[in-house]
Amino acid sequence: MNVDIQSLGTFNQLAHEGAQQATQSLAQMTGIDAVVDVTKITLLDRADVGEGLTGSEFVGVQFGFEGALEGETVLVFDTESADTIADSLMPGASDDPAMAQSSVTEIGNIMMSGFIDGWADYLDSTIDHSPPEYIEKSGKDVLPEAPESDEHQQVFVFKSEIEWVGESVNFYIYMLPEYEPLAEMMMEHGDPEADAIPIDKLQTFNEMTTNGTQQAAGNVEMMTGIPTDAEVTEISFAPIEDVPKQIGTDTYVGTVVEFTGVPSGYLMVLFDEVSAVNVAEAMMPVETDGDSVTDQHKAAIEELGNIMTSGFVDGWANVLQTSVDHTPPRLVHDMGRSIVDPLAAQVGQHQEHAFIINSTMRTDDVEFNAEIHALPNEKELREALEDLDVERADETEADVEQIFE
Amino acid sequence: MKVYDGSQTESAQQSQPERIKVGIAEYRVATDSAVLTTSGLGSCIGVGIYDEASGVAGLVHVMLPTAEDVEGGNRAKFADTGVAALVEALEAEGASRDGMRAKIAGGSDMLDFSENGPSIGSRNADQVRETLTAFDIPLLGEDVGGDHGRSLRLEADTGDFVVKSANTESTTL
Repeated sequence: MNVDIQSLGTFNQLAHEGAQQATQSLAQMTGIDAVVDVTKITLLDRADVGEGLTGSEFVGVQFGFEGALEGETVLVFDTESADTIADSLMPGASDDPAMAQSSVTEIGNIMMSGFIDGWADYLDSTIDHSPPEYIEKSGKDVLPEAPESDEHQQVFVFKSEIEWVGESVNFYIYMLPEYEPLAEMMMEHGDPEADAIPIDKLQTFNEMTTNGTQQAAGNVEMMTGIPTDAEVTEISFAPIEDVPKQIGTDTYVGTVVEFTGVPSGYLMVLFDEVSAVNVAEAMMPVETDGDSVTDQHKAAIEELGNIMTSGFVDGWANVLQTSVDHTPPRLVHDMGRSIVDPLAAQVGQHQEHAFIINSTMRTDDVEFNAEIHALPNEKELREALEDLDVERADETEADVEQIFE
Repeated sequence: MKVYDGSQTESAQQSQPERIKVGIAEYRVATDSAVLTTSGLGSCIGVGIYDEASGVAGLVHVMLPTAEDVEGGNRAKFADTGVAALVEALEAEGASRDGMRAKIAGGSDMLDFSENGPSIGSRNADQVRETLTAFDIPLLGEDVGGDHGRSLRLEADTGDFVVKSANTESTTL
């Protein structure tokens, strides 16, 4: 099954507009000034959906929907913002749990009806949704179960982050459609002549990225002695101007390389400052004074970034059976978004949208997070995926569908 | 186009000036004493233009030098069309071209892997200057180039343009 880039772009835009409509309803009812920060389509393993929500308490509303698309969608606020929303609707409402709950349900209902109707309008068909169900859970449990499928371990998730202007709180709209109806819909709305991505191959690509991340995590463990696990690997699709927003405004330390081959692109290995200090000190014979990032820390990070990059890229090259070379690492220590910005601009000279590959790794022993982000040239990624198809066809027995294609 | 005139939100009535965030490839115009901000400028450029007499100010966050060869699309993404779009929006809110003054920041050379020719950051800066010149808008201050990222804010009522980097103190242009 193939999806063309244009229709991925269109669906992303659709989700974005839906989220904007929902946000406007919120603003009208409560006077709260909020904007949709970023919308992306992500393909990831079912088990990893909502990993980014870990550690916070959420309330929200959940709907099932069916018709042109089927699945579940949810709007979640952290508990604090939910209180503010309840109070803005009816002062004092947050003190009364029943009233707080009905306020959230009411707002959620109106916001999400707008969101779903936007989809139905564009698709020129009907999408029915069930009555809103109030939910109150922690972390990723707040999200509905990703749709089950015998064939697909991975799911598409539409995620919009909505930012409350002037406050540091966010809320989220997640939409988890059933795989088949979504894929069919994307094909229907696509241009059969246009450049298409075989979506089954995207899943394979994701799996091989996981291998790359595991290799990189293995390298971290080897260098630092800290047991490190590859956590989430996902591939997202977003307009090029939204790419820098994938990374926070915090300061990061890490390395960046340009890789060449098929695909070419850029690869970042980033640590937040605390993690950078912790991981660097695990590599160094003596501990340094203070918490700040010193040149010694940076030298260690540069070495580690280089090795993680090699592990990650080798993981890719093995499965693609091509060679992917990369430049020596450039050390960066700057605001996350500023680091991605020039890379997005370089890729953006030739394409309107981009695939972003995100991997994270964590360890339980010390506070340590590492993120790997790859920004491949879209056209070359497509070629690589096509080649992947050829390679696999050679290796496996003849597939009836492929013969008659 | 999005224009905030201060009457849409309750927060504008508070004593704190309204903060208006400008994302990548976006522009915003303010007609009251708001503060326009943008962050995460690497090779991107933030162009602030204000007209003191009318009190109208705007900020655009451009990503690439020129929109040539690109049909349709988002004008605010490119230096040439982004500056033009901002000037039009300012005029629509009552700013006069004669009174407009500009300040810019960004256009870093950081992480530029291009082996031939100038970096995207410096091409962005050149294009912004050229377009401002074409509109006859004086450029009163700039903090461009280098190898670090920047964030900035434009205070609409004074035209103060405050630039901050991850590892340095802020400077006011």
